[in-house]
Amino acid sequence: MVKDLNPYFSMNKLRLRIARMIASGGEGHIPSSFSIVDLIYSVYAFGLRDRTHFKDRFVLSKGHGAAALYVVLAEFEVIPWALIDNYGKPGSVLGGHPDRSKIPGVEANTGSLGHGLPFAVGVALANKIKNLDERIFCLVGDGECQEGTIWESANIATNQHLGRLVAIVDWNGSAAQLQPIENLKAKWTAFGWDVLECNGNSLESIKSAIGGLDFDSTSPKVILAKTTKGFGVSFLQGHGEWHHKIPNEEQMQLLERELSI
Amino acid sequence: MSLRKIFAKTVTATAQKDPRLVVIVGDISHGIFRDMRELHPERYFNIGISEPAMVNVAAGLTAEGLIPVVHTIAPFLIERSYEQIKLDFAYQELGVNLISVGSAFDYAKLGCSHHCYSDYSLMAKFEKANILFPGSDIEFQVLFESIYDNGEINYFRLTEFPHQTQFEESQIEFGKGITVAEGTDLTIATTGASLQIVETAAAALRESGVSVEVLYFHTLKPFDYHLLKESVRKSRKLISVEEIDQQDGLYNLALRAIAGDFKFESKQLAIKDFIRIYGTYKELSEEAGLTPNAIIEAAQNLLN
Repeated sequence: MVKDLNPYFSMNKLRLRIARMIASGGEGHIPSSFSIVDLIYSVYAFGLRDRTHFKDRFVLSKGHGAAALYVVLAEFEVIPWALIDNYGKPGSVLGGHPDRSKIPGVEANTGSLGHGLPFAVGVALANKIKNLDERIFCLVGDGECQEGTIWESANIATNQHLGRLVAIVDWNGSAAQLQPIENLKAKWTAFGWDVLECNGNSLESIKSAIGGLDFDSTSPKVILAKTTKGFGVSFLQGHGEWHHKIPNEEQMQLLERELSI
Repeated sequence: MSLRKIFAKTVTATAQKDPRLVVIVGDISHGIFRDMRELHPERYFNIGISEPAMVNVAAGLTAEGLIPVVHTIAPFLIERSYEQIKLDFAYQELGVNLISVGSAFDYAKLGCSHHCYSDYSLMAKFEKANILFPGSDIEFQVLFESIYDNGEINYFRLTEFPHQTQFEESQIEFGKGITVAEGTDLTIATTGASLQIVETAAAALRESGVSVEVLYFHTLKPFDYHLLKESVRKSRKLISVEEIDQQDGLYNLALRAIAGDFKFESKQLAIKDFIRIYGTYKELSEEAGLTPNAIIEAAQNLLN
């Protein structure tokens, strides 16, 4: 069911792509993208069946991590790397948040938090109406779980028995430094979702969680993925000034050194 | 039959023919959708009290090729869920049929939480949205059937107080106004339920020898600019009567239609602010200044 992991593949390669893309384009959220890139890569590598024809879907609800989605789409040859190189330049189809009308593989225009999950609920509901077995994955942030529509959707998905819907929470602790919304496991369980947990910055751990999804159950599923914001580069980690900062040349050198394979 | 019942009947009949049509309601009108629920339980959903998510979920349905009809009370469907309409439909260029009841102050005794005067204004911001205020059964039926599957954002405001003017099916065309009565002294333009008070006022004005032209617009967007402009070019006097926030609506459309091409005198009868009293629909109409007498008074001022 779950595809084999390439032991030689290093996620640092994609992190480097993200950093260079954001530095040259002059826009983006590097730490958020580093937090989720392992998760998105894993959804494409181990979760989606027939990803070139978009049988199964992936919705990025926390749209500001778009750079991570873009490099994964390029890595899986859904979009050409030339689009990544052109990011932020005139005529670019890639923006700071994703646009479904411009980019293959993008299911929803997200950016304002709390929109992607209910959209994914609609996609899952449509596939249920049509008697299709498509799996719908949707990545939300733990900070995003402060939005009311996340819990409105959680309730709708349970009541509509959307067993092919999989939410993944990028639990990087954003909420904790705002209005803490901890004990996420108890919350999702109380809403009737099957809860799995993993280390969201470890491909092996994420792969194992995806492999453990029980699609015979009619309950929607959530993978609570513990992550580190800015994972991979020491000085990017945490919730400080780097959230929406563009590295200069010197900082890029330090960053590249830490990510050197 | 109430407009709401005709809505349920029309949508259910359309769903019989079109397997793409899905009905989503927000804890309202379940009774009248009994047939839909029994015939197509897999395409009827009462999403409950989660209006923004309800609208957002509908966008996911559209993205998968279905045609959602989303229905609840106007303030919750349009004002509360506005960001969902903006981002999940307008920005993503996805279509939907949004159908409200309870606007503008139909729930007269429930207070301002259940009023909605700004639905037109908000929906008009979207270039690709269509806005319809059908004031009678036949209008809803003809207009819904002609546009529900156009892939655009269609907003229908259903009134609980339909006007009593009978239109023929052949008179009703999406995007076109209707000349209810011809006249040369004064143009009265109106939309939706307000045709009722306009007809009463026009009859009285005619009695006193005024030649009144009555124009009725079930579709406010796209707007029939030509019809309104040519009427006012002739009469040079315009009264607009509408259950819409005075910052927007028919009066603004008239200014756009005429666009300074000729001089005319005018009076806008619209909603100025929260209508804070409780009472019947008629009593709130009086409080808002939307009455036959207010129209007659405005006409006398313009004609003197």
